[in-house]
Amino acid sequence: MKTLLWLQGLTCNGNTQSILNAENPSFYELFSKIELLYHPSLSVDNNLMEIVEKIESNKINLTFLVVEGSITNDKKFHNVGGFSIGEIVGRVVHKADYIIAVGNCASFGNIPALYKENPDIKGLQFTFKEKNGFLPPDFLSKKEYPVINITGCPIHPAWFTHTLMALYYEKPVLLDSFNRPKEVYMYLTHDGCIRNEYFEWKEEIEEFGHKEGCLFYNLGCKGPITHAPCNKILWNRVSSKTRAGMPCLGCTEFDFPLNENFFETKKNMGIPEKVPIGVSKRAYITITGIAKTLKNERTSKKLEETD
Amino acid sequence: MKKVSKTVLNRVEGEIELKLIWENGIIKDAFIIAPNFRGFEFILRGKPTLDALVITPRVCGICGHAHLLATTSALENLYKEAGYSLQTTQKAKLIRKITLSSEIVQNHIRWFYLFVFPDLLKLTNEESLFDYTPIKGSKWRKAVDYSSKIVKVIALFGGQWPHTSYSIPGGVMCDPTTTEVMEAISTVDSLIEFTEKEIIGMGLEEYLSIKNPDAYLEKSNGDLSVFFKTVQKHNLDKKGKAYKRFLTVCNLYPVISKGTTKKKKCPFDIKKVREIKDFSFLSKKRTGKEYSWATAVRYNRLPYETGPLARRVNNKDKLFLNLLSTYGDTYFSRIWARVDEIVKFLFFMKRWLEELDIKEPSYIRPPVDIREIEGKSYGVIEAARGSLIHFIETKEGKIKEYSIITPSAWNLGTRCKKYHSPAEKAIIGLDNPLFAEMVLRSFDVCSVCTTH
Repeated sequence: MKTLLWLQGLTCNGNTQSILNAENPSFYELFSKIELLYHPSLSVDNNLMEIVEKIESNKINLTFLVVEGSITNDKKFHNVGGFSIGEIVGRVVHKADYIIAVGNCASFGNIPALYKENPDIKGLQFTFKEKNGFLPPDFLSKKEYPVINITGCPIHPAWFTHTLMALYYEKPVLLDSFNRPKEVYMYLTHDGCIRNEYFEWKEEIEEFGHKEGCLFYNLGCKGPITHAPCNKILWNRVSSKTRAGMPCLGCTEFDFPLNENFFETKKNMGIPEKVPIGVSKRAYITITGIAKTLKNERTSKKLEETD
Repeated sequence: MKKVSKTVLNRVEGEIELKLIWENGIIKDAFIIAPNFRGFEFILRGKPTLDALVITPRVCGICGHAHLLATTSALENLYKEAGYSLQTTQKAKLIRKITLSSEIVQNHIRWFYLFVFPDLLKLTNEESLFDYTPIKGSKWRKAVDYSSKIVKVIALFGGQWPHTSYSIPGGVMCDPTTTEVMEAISTVDSLIEFTEKEIIGMGLEEYLSIKNPDAYLEKSNGDLSVFFKTVQKHNLDKKGKAYKRFLTVCNLYPVISKGTTKKKKCPFDIKKVREIKDFSFLSKKRTGKEYSWATAVRYNRLPYETGPLARRVNNKDKLFLNLLSTYGDTYFSRIWARVDEIVKFLFFMKRWLEELDIKEPSYIRPPVDIREIEGKSYGVIEAARGSLIHFIETKEGKIKEYSIITPSAWNLGTRCKKYHSPAEKAIIGLDNPLFAEMVLRSFDVCSVCTTH
């Protein structure tokens, strides 16, 4: 049976909680197929270090090493029974067929890496944008993959479970430049958003609390500049932030916690500083200029009042 | 003979180490050690005020929604302190109550079946408990299914769970249609059916009319009853007493009423709250006595227990006043109170959903931009594990100071010079390491919140 070891560094536990929400496969369906060697929140026995020793001495074959949370070697800030997360990861990292970072903390360092008192906080293979994480840039696991980053703060369970299943069935997993599974992160949050009609016709909205209007122009939505299938695979299988009326925070990108003023769109001369991915500023100005001169009857009304 | 034992505790949120000092087979002293630290209060300094809504939920993956609402409350109070009146519609208030309740129900179900029940499997190998085995057991699986189902309600209004930031000063960001409200009602109905059939083993209304704990245990074969019958068999029912002092900081009518109870109930006064760092790694003076990243929190200089049991006592629920007089503030009462809240929150969530008038505005823009406000305020909320307080000070549009007192800091923070924390106190005097772990878990340990 293939095996999985789940380790936690500096974390809020949010990815674990998110994965418990998984459907098709559910958490327990997944771990009927794969043996869960240890998970800090869910295992019955307190035997992490015994398992680590067995992996080190090849008594247990480790298929998947999953890490949640940022990495530090400093025991002052992270300590599990006398070992820092860096030390524990270091002991098993060469034994795993695949290594998966779940969430932005394990991928990029994320919010904990902003804490200045501890300069040694990293992602597994990246720290923010740079490939200078805990492991060397050229590190490959036994099956010759770099650390596979499932980014997000938190991740959607399906992004993780479906990637894990693909590896389980030995399907090739194509990665993007941040070593994220391409087929998950090739979509933008914008794709499939039910507010797209307002985006197309540049129907701006000035304030929260309306199902009409696009959140990109004034309210800080990062949907068109964020790689995430939030509107393809819905959250909790029912909705998404932008569908509900909340701007996308860009939480799957390396710079998520480096951004500020999340609920307003930074603009220069009325033009958003960051235009949608794939579009030049000039093309963006042209197309929005045209859209603004034309009127869509539908998008200028409350939805209940449309024909 | 003196002996020291150290265990890294699993099946809690995050990691906690329990250091026990044994003398002649009895626990003489207990240290609850939170060994991990992320520095959220430091990270928040200098951030634009409103960004706290994005950052604080990420303190905790299981009660992040409560952190969001504590921040919202702190920011709304910031307006009030500056002399602005903020209008929030009944609709926005109800939606916040509904989503907070969903998170609490989720938490209590996961905690009861995933964190607490497996302890019984270590206590006994009765075949009847096999259904509660992690991953394999049908009861464990149902708990995962239904705890995941109830957070769909948060997603319907807030877009996702964990980590939405859909609540802001002035209201909520969503604009639900009847469709979402009906889906939420159906979800709650389905949870009610699960609760009646599996957890309490009787109808909601019948359970809510019960005042005598033993009468319930006799009558029911639900999981709650199975749990307590096993616990009684192992004489755990009267173990794990803390101080019998209870604190609740916020109303959520009619499920939660704020106040503090020592001998009798008194009003809660924020001025009496003190955070003490003497035994914390956060202490500025190093004395060598520091043992955790947690701090100690005291009310009127005394340790108070917060959380579901405190809420039930401060709400003067008859069943719990009776439980307290028969069993005391023990493992038993603490666990029952958590499970009891599943019933009460579901019951009222349904009402709140029915009361929701979607025609009201979701959001009323505050009179000025929050960046124009300089000052100090605080926000309070009752999270799954109890009283959560956020203090904020802003200057020039940015956060100058942010301080978070979590429920876990109240319950399992460090000692102060005079008193142990409630959880440390509850462990001292036990004679079995498993019981020590079990009593600690009865506080619903969240180390990520304890230290943040």
